Amino acid sequence: MSTVAQEPVPSVGSFGTLERKRVHENPGNQFQYPALHSLAAPHIDSFNAIFQGTDSSPSWISAALKDIPPKVVHDHLKGAKSAAYIEDSDEEDHGEQTSTNKLGNRIQFWIDSVDLTKPMANLGGDQSHIQRIYPSEARDCSTSYQGKLQAKVCWRVNHGPVLSDVCPMGYLPVMVKSNRCNTEHLSPKEHIRHREESEDFGGYFVINGNEKIVRLLIAQRRNYIMGINRPTFADRGPAYTTYGTSIRCVRPDQSSSTMTLHYLSNGVLTLRFYIDKREYLVPYMIILRALVDTSDRDVFLALARGDVENTFLTERIELLLRSFSPLGLFTQQQCLEYLGVRFHSALSLPEEYTPAQIGKELLRQCISVHVTDNQEKFNVLVAMAQKLYALVAGECSPDNADSAQNQEVLLPGQIYTGLLKENLEGYLDNILFRIRQDVSRGSRLCNFSDPVYVTRMLRRSNPDVGRKLHYFLSTGNLVSRSGLDLLQSGGFVIIAERINFLRYLAHFRCIHRGAFFAEMKTTTVRKLRPESWGFLCPVHTPDGSPCGLLNHLSYTCQVSHRTPDVSKLPGLLVSLGMSQVLHGHVSNPNHITVQLDGRVIGYCSPHLAVDIARKLRHLKVSKQHNLPLDMEIGYVPVSHGGQYPGLYLFTTPCRMVRPVKYLSSKANYDIVGSFEQVYMDIACVDEDVIPNVTTHQEYAPTYIMSVLANMTPFSDFNPSPRNMYQCQMGKQTMGTPAQALKCRSDNKLYVLQTGQTPIVRSRLHNAYAFDEYPNGTNACVAVISYTGYDMEDAMILNKSGHERGFAYGSVYKSELVDLTSQARRGGGPVTLQFGLGEMDEDSPARRTLDVDGLPFVGAHLKAGDAFYAFYDTERKRTVVKSYKGPEEGYVDSVRLLGQDDITRPLQRIKIVVRIPRAPLIGDKFSSRHGQKGVCSQKWPSVDMPFSESGVQPDVIINPHAFPSRMTIGMFVESMAAKAGAMHGNPQDCTPFQFSEDYTASEHFGEQLAKAGFNYYGNEPMYSGITGKEFEADIYFGVVYYQRLRHMVNDKFQVRSTGTINPLTRQPVKGRKRAGGIRFGEMERDSLIAHGTAYLLQDRLLHCSDYCQTHVCKLCGSIVSPVNVPSAFANPGSREFSKYKSVVECKTCATADGITVISLPYVFKYLASELGAMNIRMTLKVD
Amino acid sequence: MAYNAYNPTLESGDQGPQIHIREINDEVLDFVLSNTDLSVANALRRVMIAEVPTIAIDIVQIEKNTSVLADEFLAHRLGLIPLCSSTVDRMKYTRDCNCIQACENCTVELTLDMCCQDDDTMEVTSRNLLSNDPNVVPVLTDDNDPGILIVKLRKGQELKVNCLAKKGVAKEHAKWSPVSAVGFEYDPHNRLRHTQYWVEQDEKEEWPLSHNAPEEPEPKPGEPFDFKAEPNRFYFRVETVGSLRPEEVFLTSISVLQDKLGTMQIKLDDDGGQDEPSDMGYGANDQWENGY
Repeated sequence: MSTVAQEPVPSVGSFGTLERKRVHENPGNQFQYPALHSLAAPHIDSFNAIFQGTDSSPSWISAALKDIPPKVVHDHLKGAKSAAYIEDSDEEDHGEQTSTNKLGNRIQFWIDSVDLTKPMANLGGDQSHIQRIYPSEARDCSTSYQGKLQAKVCWRVNHGPVLSDVCPMGYLPVMVKSNRCNTEHLSPKEHIRHREESEDFGGYFVINGNEKIVRLLIAQRRNYIMGINRPTFADRGPAYTTYGTSIRCVRPDQSSSTMTLHYLSNGVLTLRFYIDKREYLVPYMIILRALVDTSDRDVFLALARGDVENTFLTERIELLLRSFSPLGLFTQQQCLEYLGVRFHSALSLPEEYTPAQIGKELLRQCISVHVTDNQEKFNVLVAMAQKLYALVAGECSPDNADSAQNQEVLLPGQIYTGLLKENLEGYLDNILFRIRQDVSRGSRLCNFSDPVYVTRMLRRSNPDVGRKLHYFLSTGNLVSRSGLDLLQSGGFVIIAERINFLRYLAHFRCIHRGAFFAEMKTTTVRKLRPESWGFLCPVHTPDGSPCGLLNHLSYTCQVSHRTPDVSKLPGLLVSLGMSQVLHGHVSNPNHITVQLDGRVIGYCSPHLAVDIARKLRHLKVSKQHNLPLDMEIGYVPVSHGGQYPGLYLFTTPCRMVRPVKYLSSKANYDIVGSFEQVYMDIACVDEDVIPNVTTHQEYAPTYIMSVLANMTPFSDFNPSPRNMYQCQMGKQTMGTPAQALKCRSDNKLYVLQTGQTPIVRSRLHNAYAFDEYPNGTNACVAVISYTGYDMEDAMILNKSGHERGFAYGSVYKSELVDLTSQARRGGGPVTLQFGLGEMDEDSPARRTLDVDGLPFVGAHLKAGDAFYAFYDTERKRTVVKSYKGPEEGYVDSVRLLGQDDITRPLQRIKIVVRIPRAPLIGDKFSSRHGQKGVCSQKWPSVDMPFSESGVQPDVIINPHAFPSRMTIGMFVESMAAKAGAMHGNPQDCTPFQFSEDYTASEHFGEQLAKAGFNYYGNEPMYSGITGKEFEADIYFGVVYYQRLRHMVNDKFQVRSTGTINPLTRQPVKGRKRAGGIRFGEMERDSLIAHGTAYLLQDRLLHCSDYCQTHVCKLCGSIVSPVNVPSAFANPGSREFSKYKSVVECKTCATADGITVISLPYVFKYLASELGAMNIRMTLKVD
Repeated sequence: MAYNAYNPTLESGDQGPQIHIREINDEVLDFVLSNTDLSVANALRRVMIAEVPTIAIDIVQIEKNTSVLADEFLAHRLGLIPLCSSTVDRMKYTRDCNCIQACENCTVELTLDMCCQDDDTMEVTSRNLLSNDPNVVPVLTDDNDPGILIVKLRKGQELKVNCLAKKGVAKEHAKWSPVSAVGFEYDPHNRLRHTQYWVEQDEKEEWPLSHNAPEEPEPKPGEPFDFKAEPNRFYFRVETVGSLRPEEVFLTSISVLQDKLGTMQIKLDDDGGQDEPSDMGYGANDQWENGY
């Protein structure tokens, strides 16, 4: 039956050890792992697009600069020399000229261009010392990797010449490996020279020495009208219904603005949009009529599209038109003025603007911003209304915002551009504000025609745009006036932790649904939807609170990043039979719209649309007519109550796309988007192909999974939650975080000393360079219950294996020492210098410190040992700082950090301490199948069970780990690796290779039998203690084991005595402060239930806040007994003594009733608290 | 090679434990031990793995290490290098020695002093470990053996270490184990039914016969089960790491076992358990365990 089954499982070749050795010895000019570099492409491409445009589209930042509305100030001087400013447009009349006269001179500012240099440092003042900076230097010095941002600010006074000045805008963080990075074109060899990973693929920023990534986010698909039925819509006001259509329009600079059209039960439509986070609701008709000079009749025809038979539609349109007439707005001009008057303050436009101009600017800035032409904006609004009516009538279903079909990716470059744009505009506003201040103060200096004044104004307003973005990247908080049309204001940036290579990779592929959805009570947003097939990995999502919200892109999923030239596309479509949109022309109501990137470009019959879609795809795949390959051709067929029909073409950037095999042509490489995929016939495997129906086929079924999910061996044998756990645990493994370990200065690095390449590996293992970053060890694993120490997910390690280095790791901690921050005064001359000063030869600090005050490399450090020393030239003394510990470690390296001013003495160093972490009882390990366990015992080799050939397991796990978890993949891996180890070849564990006709156990059983083992992987074994053969034969094989970073040394918490809370005298909490662990109510209950009274007393009293206190038996108070000096004591008191003080009851004025009792201190505290509230507590004491 | 010093009071005709050597070379000793009890055979196995003393590098003093490997990593690698330990008998355990830390009676000193001055990568191997005792040197199989790779040095990197090799047993640390594995089997046909072979369909097809199977007659189908039978033929295959010859490992293990039994005998004869509990030959056990 299955063709997959018949063909032998392809071998994954050799381990490639020699080839890798060759490359390592002679790193060439070619990257070895191109697939690896494509993983970070969405990040890098989007950053590149900020500053680099193509022939067909400008760079995002230049588009953004163009979009900034004009910034104008007037000096209000009467009789200004060059009186009138006449706008270039011909609508300007003479009446307005005189009005501008009153305003006086006019100055307009704009930013012509922005330039970002590559990161440079100026060492020493003059130009000759300028040097390129590389990311490793920024990391080392805990600074940021940033280039100089400059803007060319232009201004023009009245009609005078355009003047300009280049203003520094501060330092802007640069993405590594982007077109503004110094490592952009470096080869692996040069990477190594610049102390980078040879295969570093960039995509991150270096901020204060940390590697930061702007997380990918899911956004609503741009320029597509979504039908929405949302209960909250009805709460907006009277007559509002739950229906609406919404479109997220994206400008050429990738900033977006969302419009929502609401349906009211009285037939009115209202358009909702936002200006600077403020919401505006405007009657639909006003906008429509303001856009185009049209009549009610034309609007009726456009909305009804000649479908006069449809009374549902016509009635509603009639209501809509009727509701508009009372406003008395008849012409476009009137509508524009109506809007202009109302939006005057919201838009902050030049004073000279007439209401009509303001109205126009409103339409430009807020309405259908993805198109520029007013007629096209009109068409978009009409299409929105049509879809809304269809939705209300039940002809179409609402679109699902949680489906990948209606989603795209919000790329780092977009947020970056948006922030840049806003801050640059803010800079212009700031200039304007200062000039206005001068004007209103009537400052003498305020002279527009004086370039010196203007440039001073330019300099005076703080232009440090770079800092704002630096803040964004270091905190992840978005400080924005407009909110950038985003639902969240924080959590955009994450640290690219290098716990191991898997973790690092996953950061670049993770995509978040948005913080807004994290607090949502419903779980619908978290669901795995069929529409995300191939784009989002169904396996790789964390369990727990971010489940389903934090997804990962499948390894083949790309994000489109080009803005192709599609100006010829409408013409091509017309030649294929589409009818164009002609103003005043009414199309057939049965025809569907053709939309290109949200522009209505024509109509055609559904029948023809099928044909057009097919032909267009063929042209696209065969690369004709210059059609972009990642263009989406989404034909939504006419249905009864399904998705709103139409032919939707998308060519914009930021869409999730993926490669799929096109079957009906020789050129078979097609790229498919998430919108069109829903309506396409894509077969998964050969058996799924239906002749004449199937047009596409997956290259491989594994294409749907992320890189990490693909690394799970035989994941098709495991239940899905186990594969999810493995995706989590793979990222917590102690592995090889980097190859350039000596050049890294991360705060904490976990390194496995002797990582191995897995014998069992998937085909992608090599493609993504996992052999360069080994993540575990091939361990001999026996599945047996032996001595009982392996129960409950514990595992037994072989002590001899441990002694030979099994799973040995180290933690590298680095500490930055900055003497300038320790100096008493900031700035000023340097007073602290590294060194020992006049320290004695035999001082204990000399054991670890060299004469330069820095620790010896290799020195063994315990808590309290001297860590570094410096000499205070002011106080003339040496200060020795000690190592805080608490763990013992070795000094791995001491790095002297440079600074911009090379004349200053050394002030900053970085000390890396290596802490050995041999596997201990309590450390966590896991196989690659979500089977984690804690080491519970290390048995000596002689006590371990052994096979007939004398092989002893490294790891023993309990058979109970399997029945409920059903991780058959682990069994298969065990067999496969055993056979692979015996035959000396790697084994392919790519999922979906086997079938019922050709099972994995057959495949590997044969190999095992050939090596002289039992077919099913069992072996007779002997007890190491008695030498007797076990009654059952033991499943014994080789499994790749990962050591997880959760180690007892970081977790154990013990205390006998220690710090207490001064108020309650109870132990403090927290491991760091050597505190206790809360023995809470439920724990107390269990002790009561067990009747263990002494234990209860021990925990809650003796080990907590035991105290002895005086009590007055007469009045029963524990608050009133006080110490009284004997001189003042009541003479009648007992124990009256000349020298001692006496405890007396204040209320009874005698010491007669005083006795000592023991009680918890909090009880005493409670008594005094109650006393403060005038509540008396009395104890009955015998 | 027959061995008969076990117990003269055995029944006549019984010669006590027998040894039949099937294969012997530099690394492997393959023999059949018969006519003895399972406990004796297993004790022998355990002693060979864990209690035959050898010499291994125990203390590493690092004077200079600019190689890519961390100090403890390097020290660990050095410790695992097998050293020729034929003269281990003449050495004392440091704990039994009169010296404070090291002397020639209990310690062999090895030095490694390498510096790469070429453009090519230099491979530092166990051949570069220079010993002050000509008898205790890193194990090499033959003259062409390049030695065990310790670390690779590039130009300018330097390594200068001083190693102190001590006598020890694998109970303390696996580096002192003279064997890499000891194969051990009895009853290849499962006549005693100590185990139950799990089968899917056919036992003969799924369970390959052990290579020791021809040594014993194949059970006839329907043979009655002798429930009183005890295992008494044990197939050993001792594979050494090279520090000791396999026969040395075996002979030493016998004498270690004898010592243990002797100690026990003496203690039992002495006072019938009146005195402080005997340590049964594990004399320094406490001391070892303190290290771990």
